[in-house]
Amino acid sequence: MANDKLQIKKLYALSSENKKFSFSLPLKQNIRIGKRDYEVKLKADEKFGTYILWKNRKFPVEIVRSSQNKYEILFNDISYTFSVETPFSLQRKKVLNSKRGKVEQENIKAPMPGKIIDVLVREGAAVLRGEPVVILEAMKMQNEIISPVNGTILRVLAKPNTNVMKDDLLVEIKL
Amino acid sequence: MEEDLPPLGGLGGKTQQERISMEVMKIKRILIANRGEIAVRIMKTAHLMKIETVAVKTAVEPNAMYLASADEIYDNTDDSSEIPVFLDIEKLIGIALKTNSNAIHPGYGFLAENAYFAQKCLDNNLIFIGPSPDAIYKMGNKTIARRIALANGIPMATGSEGNIANEEEAATIAEKIGYPVIIKAASGGGGRGMRIVRKAEEMEKMFIIASKEAEKAFNDPSVFVEKYIENPKHIEFQILGDIKGNVIHLGERECSIQRKHQKLLEEAPSPALDEKLRKRMGDMAVQIARAVDYHSAGTVEFLLDSEKNFYFMEMNTRIQVEHPVTEIITGLDLIEQQIRIANGEELKYKQSDIKLKGWAIECRINAEDVQAGFAPDPGKIESLNMPSGPCIRIDTGVQSGSSIVASYDSMIAKLIVKGKDRRDAIKNCKMALDKVWIKGTKTTLPFFRMLVRHQKFQDGTFTTAFIEKDLEKYYLNSEYEEMLAAWLATKLFIEENLNDDSINVNFEHGKVMSPWLLNKRINQF
Repeated sequence: MANDKLQIKKLYALSSENKKFSFSLPLKQNIRIGKRDYEVKLKADEKFGTYILWKNRKFPVEIVRSSQNKYEILFNDISYTFSVETPFSLQRKKVLNSKRGKVEQENIKAPMPGKIIDVLVREGAAVLRGEPVVILEAMKMQNEIISPVNGTILRVLAKPNTNVMKDDLLVEIKL
Repeated sequence: MEEDLPPLGGLGGKTQQERISMEVMKIKRILIANRGEIAVRIMKTAHLMKIETVAVKTAVEPNAMYLASADEIYDNTDDSSEIPVFLDIEKLIGIALKTNSNAIHPGYGFLAENAYFAQKCLDNNLIFIGPSPDAIYKMGNKTIARRIALANGIPMATGSEGNIANEEEAATIAEKIGYPVIIKAASGGGGRGMRIVRKAEEMEKMFIIASKEAEKAFNDPSVFVEKYIENPKHIEFQILGDIKGNVIHLGERECSIQRKHQKLLEEAPSPALDEKLRKRMGDMAVQIARAVDYHSAGTVEFLLDSEKNFYFMEMNTRIQVEHPVTEIITGLDLIEQQIRIANGEELKYKQSDIKLKGWAIECRINAEDVQAGFAPDPGKIESLNMPSGPCIRIDTGVQSGSSIVASYDSMIAKLIVKGKDRRDAIKNCKMALDKVWIKGTKTTLPFFRMLVRHQKFQDGTFTTAFIEKDLEKYYLNSEYEEMLAAWLATKLFIEENLNDDSINVNFEHGKVMSPWLLNKRINQF
């Protein structure tokens, strides 16, 4: 198995916005900008924790989440999510994506932990993009959760006066 | 960090010791009815003034940093009440009496603007470090405050005479004064119970939301309606009044950088005011404070439209989060002033003694995910490294290892930067922001790093609509940084999945994992 993997010549990091960054293996410790190579160092010390040293500047880095080939990285306090693909998995992904039709359902999830104050829609009702569907109270603020799409309410899972965790499903909308 | 504060007694002249001994200090021991950075801030000045302090330890934050600043800690960790202690009037009075405190400082938030609490303190012979219950009540009730402002000829947005009963009445008034209008909670503050209504169809829904939010937040569902001023600047005046009736203002702060009525960055002075306008607005602020016999530190908030017309919005009868920017440009310690006024001392300065010098900017570094629309991101602060230097002041209530808990606000620290003028302050702010290192939670840092480079911020023309209207993105995306992050993701993938001898790691069960990743994971569980 290890032998198979050593055959891999390239890896791709795909961003959540579908930007592709390719890296040859073995992974170089430098990144080319224009015609110059700049050395990248991953370091850690007591005071700053883990950081990347690049062009004489230290950037804080943190791994927020990682599962299988997906990584959420906090780089200089900004979060980036990548899936790292081999040439084979990238090919497979492309094929799968072309077979999958367009999305027909939008799931609205809790953007933060909090308490449901009110549910403003009923199952079967039509919603317009920008219309508030749920009011969620978090950290002393009432937040309107807005429908990002036009559609029909398929299912309402949010219940008033209940607590929700981040990413809990609140409402399903059929497009 | 005590040297960060302006010297006691403020504006030069007599030495500190002489000033301190000028009056007999009746206040011997202050119960801090608050937590976090403001508790730390109050205790710093109390300590300089040789006044003892008592802090309350709660089960939610038994290891909080503010506890270390207190002379005595009252242990309230076994309290099983549903109400947080900082909102429990009876309990706080009881703690003050039990700990032999003879004064209470409420800080901001919680009970700071609760007239009943102030009254209860007085009833129990405790000095309330703040204004009179009467002034708190009058200014706290926005409909009464409006009436007082009107009687004193203070310019205001047109609106309902008093509270409105229902959405029909709101719609009738809105038709008369013209949309857009804003519904505001009569007992409101801090942006809660407030909704903008742009057309008649939205009125019913918005009225209900505002009223419900008001009832929840302030125990009072009453709301009123006024004309919504489009794209204003938020300008507020710091005032100081004593019990002898002397009132002065300490210049303005601009707090237009806000999102959903929550301030993110404040500066003093404002790039929008000249000496003439400052005097006019300042005089009005003093006048409204006089109308309620205001004593202590307070803030009169105005909206300023593009034609430089200003409108009274509300008066906050407490110390504000953003008070440090005023301290920097005036050289006065506002907590000291509050304590001295509560002690019955007369103001030692006339309006003509107050000179604004230099420029100050405050960034509220909160545990929020800027990329997810500023959603709170509570959690443990694994490491906190703040810059220091002659033009930097940090007010914070957390340190490495502290937690930002969901039950309180998301403040991590206030980064306060000064400069000789606005340009200089922005330059210093830019440099300081790059030196802030916070690990463990997402923060508002990416927002500020973008903001200080934004043209509209630099030229000072931004309004309260800036974040919602002028910004497409709340942070700066550097392509190189993204590339470096991609490189790191790829490196991690290799370490975890491919057998690469060049990486110095442990080998277990066919999985390669770098020690620091392992460490991070162990900490997560």
